[in-house]
Amino acid sequence: MSWAQIAIDGLALGAAYALVALGFVLILNAAGAVNFAQGDLVMAGGFAAIALASALPLDALPVPGLVLAPLVALAGGGAGWIVAEVAYRPLRHRPPVAVFIATIAVGIMLQHGANGIFGAAERRTPPLVSGDAVVVGGVTLSLQSLAIVATAAIVILLLHRLLERTQLGRRLRAAAEDPEMARAIGIPVRRLTALAFALGAGLAALAGLLLANVYFVTPTAGLAFMLKAYIAVTIGGWGSLRGAVIGAFLVALFEVAAGRLFSASLADALLYAALLLALLFKPEGLFGEAAGRRA
Amino acid sequence: MSGRARIAAARAAPLSLAAAAAVALLAAGAGAYELRLLAIAGCYALAVLGYQFIFGRVGALSLAQGAFFGLGAYASALLALKLGWDFARSFPAAIALAVALAAVVGATVLRLASHYFALATLAVAELMHILVIEWVSLTGGGNGLPNVPGFVLFGWAVPRGWPVTAFVWAFAALGIALAANYSRSLYGDGARLLRAEPLAAAAAGIDAAGRRLAAFLLSAAFGAAGGALYVHTLGVVSPEAMQFDVMVLILCMAVIGGRNAVAGAIVGALLLVHLPEWFRALEGWRYLAYGAGLLLVIVAAPEGIAGAVEALWRRRLGNTAAPSGRTLVPDAAVPAARAAPFAEDRAILAVQGLAIAFGGNRALAGVTLFVRPGEILGLIGPNGSGKTTLLNLLSGFHRPDAGRIFLDGRDATRDPAWRRARAGIARSFQHGALAGDLTALDNVALAAYGIRARAADVFRLPGRDAKRRRARDAALSALAKAGAAGAAHTMGADLAPAERRRVELARALVAEPRVILLDEPAAGLSDAEKAALRSALREIAARGIAIVVVDHGMPFLIPLASRVVCLDAGRVIAAGAPADVIADPEVRRAYLGAGAVL
Repeated sequence: MSWAQIAIDGLALGAAYALVALGFVLILNAAGAVNFAQGDLVMAGGFAAIALASALPLDALPVPGLVLAPLVALAGGGAGWIVAEVAYRPLRHRPPVAVFIATIAVGIMLQHGANGIFGAAERRTPPLVSGDAVVVGGVTLSLQSLAIVATAAIVILLLHRLLERTQLGRRLRAAAEDPEMARAIGIPVRRLTALAFALGAGLAALAGLLLANVYFVTPTAGLAFMLKAYIAVTIGGWGSLRGAVIGAFLVALFEVAAGRLFSASLADALLYAALLLALLFKPEGLFGEAAGRRA
Repeated sequence: MSGRARIAAARAAPLSLAAAAAVALLAAGAGAYELRLLAIAGCYALAVLGYQFIFGRVGALSLAQGAFFGLGAYASALLALKLGWDFARSFPAAIALAVALAAVVGATVLRLASHYFALATLAVAELMHILVIEWVSLTGGGNGLPNVPGFVLFGWAVPRGWPVTAFVWAFAALGIALAANYSRSLYGDGARLLRAEPLAAAAAGIDAAGRRLAAFLLSAAFGAAGGALYVHTLGVVSPEAMQFDVMVLILCMAVIGGRNAVAGAIVGALLLVHLPEWFRALEGWRYLAYGAGLLLVIVAAPEGIAGAVEALWRRRLGNTAAPSGRTLVPDAAVPAARAAPFAEDRAILAVQGLAIAFGGNRALAGVTLFVRPGEILGLIGPNGSGKTTLLNLLSGFHRPDAGRIFLDGRDATRDPAWRRARAGIARSFQHGALAGDLTALDNVALAAYGIRARAADVFRLPGRDAKRRRARDAALSALAKAGAAGAAHTMGADLAPAERRRVELARALVAEPRVILLDEPAAGLSDAEKAALRSALREIAARGIAIVVVDHGMPFLIPLASRVVCLDAGRVIAAGAPADVIADPEVRRAYLGAGAVL
């Protein structure tokens, strides 16, 4: 396998991780707490895509995954809204660790729910676009990886525009930065916090659709996704959206490169060891913290 | 038995009895399978008791408890299988190994902010999970190793069946006794304050880092003990013992049972081990109930089943359960203050050029002041002028960017808050920082100087009860001096605002300080209460204790203070006799307003 292919694979994995990590930070900033179910929402997104694919006549389409993408993101958004109402809202005046634990509970339910419906076996989602490979400049590249990078890039750009350029995005950020002040100037904080959960979970579910074609999905896969997002956000700067994307690409490139050199589990072990060292010497993250509130 | 211990015992007794009865009932007439389940519940009970130390008592979300459980399991099993050690040797070795790992991990990651601590402990756990899967030659890899021997002690094998169950629960009982002792000790009280009000704990002389590390080591020891018992009960060792699922299970048990009550660990472990058995018909779906139960309890009953039962119990007994047993009489022999001979003119606390900035905001820009023994220094200034920041620097909550702090002539600038508290700086907080689940008396007792809690108090050693009694006597006499003796047996959460302030003052006094820093002690008090507070403060000062008071109420402060310092924008703009300072034109401009009427 060529280095160009490894780079594209790393980019594709990083692009999917970036969606997960962005969702993690959106929820972190809105709720002031870690969403431990973020990885299980990725897993649930993968299974939602599988369920939708079997219910819809997609086989004839040239772009089965792309058709599913908005549906899966919407389903994830709905799930995120529910998480906000049951696992965040009743606990919003309690220490952040309460929300942390409540989202662990949500993760357990998603994991065992998926296990009950789909069983423990590995499953895969339909490809984003049909076809195997493309040849670019004499180098053969996986079409799926390219499609993942393109899809994630479009979503990240749209999200950036939403947050930076629209009134809704500005209100969302205001509600996250200072809920009391936002409420005082008439911003509906409750609805915006729920919206942040919906966006975060929708991004996770979409990442689940992207990842589960190449890497498959099992009901227990959530923990690894959550850890990668958590690590990406930690090294990228706690609470920073830009840092989350950078961190996600670093984690993915590390994972793909170390996986090629050694084995997948050794790559994970090295990643965790690197994280511990980073926390030891740079406890404020590689690029500093953006969020003051702790979980 | 002393008052609070008796109350605690009265609360714990029904639950402990109920737990013991449940174990006996489940064991009676049970088959081999049920007995084994019960034994497994005992193993988890130990792990949960351990988890309560770090997660419940000091409130740090560790995600490594499952890994300590797995480490205990692997260590004890491998020592038995590879070296032929019996349980009498492999069990303590497994615990020692886990404690050693916890010491290394704890020393490095416990200082991290809570969300990083959770992540770091999870990363350690995942590393260990990968290690046992990949180190196939030692651990048998993903399949694990069969034929782990049962419990063998010095050549005697504990017979299968009920003796094994009894053996496991005997260790669980030992764990229960230790954990109950911890809850009842001054040490445990300190942990409650640490969790509720970390700054107040530091100001009461509690070394938070040391307490957290001790709790983490205890959690590892209990976790490994549970894991070692588990693996010899089961007879096989596999990566399942090290999976994150074990951590999740222990967390669910702690939260659902009750994260702070000893009985909670037992109830949680028994319930969650047996729950799937009762819902066998639901197959894989039954584990969904763990998640649903966890969510329900964290939302509806944050202190779990044990906490909910205790709240019911308390409501029935009434809020302020009067202590039975010995009557509490202030002990005249308790010294009023550490009577160090002070040179009258020498400052006990002095600061030079103190400066600190938060972000770009210069909160203090070079403050120099001093206070002598027996003097009451009033600190005034507009909001945001740096008064509370100055108190926080004096307490050691922040490190100054520049300048030095001298306590009795010694440079204390780099001392952490708890060490300064022990050196004689006490303080109160604007919002009344007490542990809500301790009585006023115990809130004060845990800060008693010279009667400080040590880790050894966790064990029922000779002299521990006497120490507790001395601390309570000192606390009662301090409460009397602060005019709050009547509130001694009210829980911290139930105190009226004025009472909270007096109890805080008593806590500052009981440490026999040399300097007391008071942050708006008169806010919200009636005129009569203010007058009482003023005379109490004068009496304290008359014993040679220096007092620094921040307050906005000039009618309260001016007659009280020996000297007044006025801050504005982080600088001293006036200092001297109260009448001179409030007459100062700059003070009137900056703070009082030109037409201020006093």
